[in-house]
Amino acid sequence: MIHTSPLPYTDTKPVGAADFYTAINATFRFIINRFGRDGLLRYWQQLGSRYYAPVSQQWSKGGLQSVADYWRAFFDAEPGAEAEVSLLANEVCVRVTTCPAIQHLRAQGREIVPTFCQQCYFVSEAMAEPAGLTVRVKGGNGSCVQRFIKRSACSEAQNMEDIASAS
Amino acid sequence: MIGCYDFCGHYEWTFGWLEQLGGHELVRDYWLEAISEDSQRHAADLIVNQGIEGMRKYWQHTLEEEAADHVMTSTDEVYRIDMHQCPSKGFLIKNGLDQYHDYCDHCMGWIGPLMKKAGFVVDHEHNHCGQCWWEIRATDDLTPPSQPGNLSGKSDVRLMPNWKSNLTDHYDRATDPDDKTTLP
Repeated sequence: MIHTSPLPYTDTKPVGAADFYTAINATFRFIINRFGRDGLLRYWQQLGSRYYAPVSQQWSKGGLQSVADYWRAFFDAEPGAEAEVSLLANEVCVRVTTCPAIQHLRAQGREIVPTFCQQCYFVSEAMAEPAGLTVRVKGGNGSCVQRFIKRSACSEAQNMEDIASAS
Repeated sequence: MIGCYDFCGHYEWTFGWLEQLGGHELVRDYWLEAISEDSQRHAADLIVNQGIEGMRKYWQHTLEEEAADHVMTSTDEVYRIDMHQCPSKGFLIKNGLDQYHDYCDHCMGWIGPLMKKAGFVVDHEHNHCGQCWWEIRATDDLTPPSQPGNLSGKSDVRLMPNWKSNLTDHYDRATDPDDKTTLP
């Protein structure tokens, strides 16, 4: 069978189950309680570089077009997500107007891990680095802009203060 | 962003990551503290307060959302699920993901402690191929698990041609993920 989806792991249903966002949030809380912020960063970085290694390989082979294809397919499969993906000369810009995770966690009355939105930098950076890309995230706590930029075209480091605390 | 579409994939990956870091005890603690007591606290609220009626409400919603091919059977004394195609294990099989040695244990890992708290025990078998069955009764009800077909009729997963596998885990009046025997 030929694998045609931009997503490396596919399901039989088109959209994921939103209740799983509570498990993602609880997983972050468990790791930070046991191993502190350093442990959570290590989890995010290793998840990005190991579990999502097939995505890095796609991006290495397919360049920015494959990055755009991935994020369009990704947000299409997340329930309640609203996001616009733009392919530019040196980057892919993802404007998330409704973060499905934050929206669902709030609707369920869950206490959101304050550093929740930092996953979008640390996981994505670990995915992007092997493909010669780097990530910059601005905003958070419900909406944000995520830029996947060619390393050669980006000189400024990620300012962690640009990523909002989640609540 | 870590999404919910491929949740079962990174959830299973997380079991392996935790086991490497802190062994089996850390994985058990994760199922208890993060999943049973935190993520799934809405299940605990329903089941501790409403018993079998709470089980009906919880699993009707969650198994529908996960598009699980299953049949629920319940009376005032017992709640039974026959899982014909587990969407969670099915996702792993479909995508060739195998980071942790026994993914199916996670269900008893979070459901078991919840049932203990709510005053129930669990008879359960899973065949590691995406099929399983559960019978949940009050702790003081000593009724043994039903014989194949007696409670859920033709929907009983034990009557399905794909039920037999080389490795089936069996739980008898259990609430602990390690309280199992493995049947050939």
